[in-house]
Amino acid sequence: MMLLQINDLLRARPWVLQQGRTARRLLHLALLVVTFGIIYGAVMGTFGGVFGQRFWQVVFSALKVPLLLMGTFALSLPSFFVVNTLFGLRSDFSYSIRALVAMQAGLTIILASFAPFTALWYVSFSNYQGAILFNTLMFGTASIAAQRLSRRFYQPLIQREPKHRLMLRIWLVIYAFVGIQMAWILRPFVGSPDLPTHFLRQNAWGNAYVKLLNIIWTFLGG
Amino acid sequence: MWNKIWEWFKQLDDILRGDATRMSSLSRGRIEIPIGGLSVAIVLLGLLYGMCVGSFAMIRTGGEAYMQLLASTIKIPLLFFLTLAVTLPSLYVFNALIGTRLSVVSVLRLLIASLGVMLAVLASLGPIVVFFALSTKNYPFMKLLNVATGTMAGVLGLGFLLRTLDRLVVAQEQMDLISLESKPKKSKVTKKKMTKKTTVTELAAKETAFEVTGALDPLGEFTSRKTKRVFRVWTIVFALVGAQMSWVLRPFIGSPDMPFQWFRHRESNFFIAVLKALVNLFSS
Repeated sequence: MMLLQINDLLRARPWVLQQGRTARRLLHLALLVVTFGIIYGAVMGTFGGVFGQRFWQVVFSALKVPLLLMGTFALSLPSFFVVNTLFGLRSDFSYSIRALVAMQAGLTIILASFAPFTALWYVSFSNYQGAILFNTLMFGTASIAAQRLSRRFYQPLIQREPKHRLMLRIWLVIYAFVGIQMAWILRPFVGSPDLPTHFLRQNAWGNAYVKLLNIIWTFLGG
Repeated sequence: MWNKIWEWFKQLDDILRGDATRMSSLSRGRIEIPIGGLSVAIVLLGLLYGMCVGSFAMIRTGGEAYMQLLASTIKIPLLFFLTLAVTLPSLYVFNALIGTRLSVVSVLRLLIASLGVMLAVLASLGPIVVFFALSTKNYPFMKLLNVATGTMAGVLGLGFLLRTLDRLVVAQEQMDLISLESKPKKSKVTKKKMTKKTTVTELAAKETAFEVTGALDPLGEFTSRKTKRVFRVWTIVFALVGAQMSWVLRPFIGSPDMPFQWFRHRESNFFIAVLKALVNLFSS
């Protein structure tokens, strides 16, 4: 049953976004996000092994992936709502929101399908930095693939009203901006084998963008 | 009382959706919005956003954190209304001189509606601001983030202002035309404005024909020159006063290195401060 739904979603079949029973569909899509997020998260967390204390890393990472996606979604939604209203697109909003959640569901499904690759990498290489980079690569690839999916979901809206193209772009900018910081705050996802297992790092608070700028600045010789 | 407040927020929602500024709603040459009620809604949104900005102060300890939170909460609505108060006289005079001929009350309603749009956008960005405020210690970053959210709100608010000004001017001209037509003389003038009248009804009809007409949609193919002129002057005045007012009322966020103060000493100005923050961000 679920496999059929996944198939329909990945092929952006119309029933996914049909009118009516909005709340149910949204719940359905959200559940997909959570389920597949947990799957990939769990695999992410197995880097340091699954026995003893490290088991908790698996649990934490499993919880963190859906938390990352849904948290970012929740933070970005109010401003998206207001901007949509200002551009006169309020009536389409229930469709927009379903399209966006469907995008996330697509992302997690694709990610979960990459989980075997991650597992294989973990078994082959024991370098922590390498593990992080590989996961970044998986997330990146899944995002690009999900982007293509999102275009298909949003296409009917864009055809009806070209302003939606701008809306989608604005959403992606806000989502990415918040998501990067959220991913930084929620670390560790992989979990360095040398450090004890915690839900969040002790000095968790910090700023992804400042770190990035620091790196660039140091790289430039500042 | 809660019903009243809910009513006022629904009015604001009408403005955001573009319902309050449709050509049909502007038929009497002014925006039909309650100034007082809308101002209450704007103040509430401002307090909410102020709280979000002030949450950065939570990295301090003890009483100072709450003082800064309180100060920021109050300062945001204060900033907007003070800017409005300072700019209103000159905005009205420019409008009268350059020729869009709106009454003082019309100008006030237009500006309050725009303020409503700006604060609605700001309040919706509140959750994002809180998230960053609570997760970062970097003060220049927070300053720039707030400049970014303020800019986004300002751009959208000014976009609304331009479109609504355009519609108001067209609606006003129709009103003048109607009053002119009731007088039998001056046929030369009526002939020229006849084309404007059909434009208004045409546009209103077009509006209902469109499935979607937002508050930010342009009316017709072009905005008249004088509307653009008035708008440009208004934008410059509003932006300059607003920016400098935000500097005068600082601190909104509160530097973690300095003790709490209601207001800092007079020095420098907004634009130099933004440049400094950019430089600091790179070297921190």
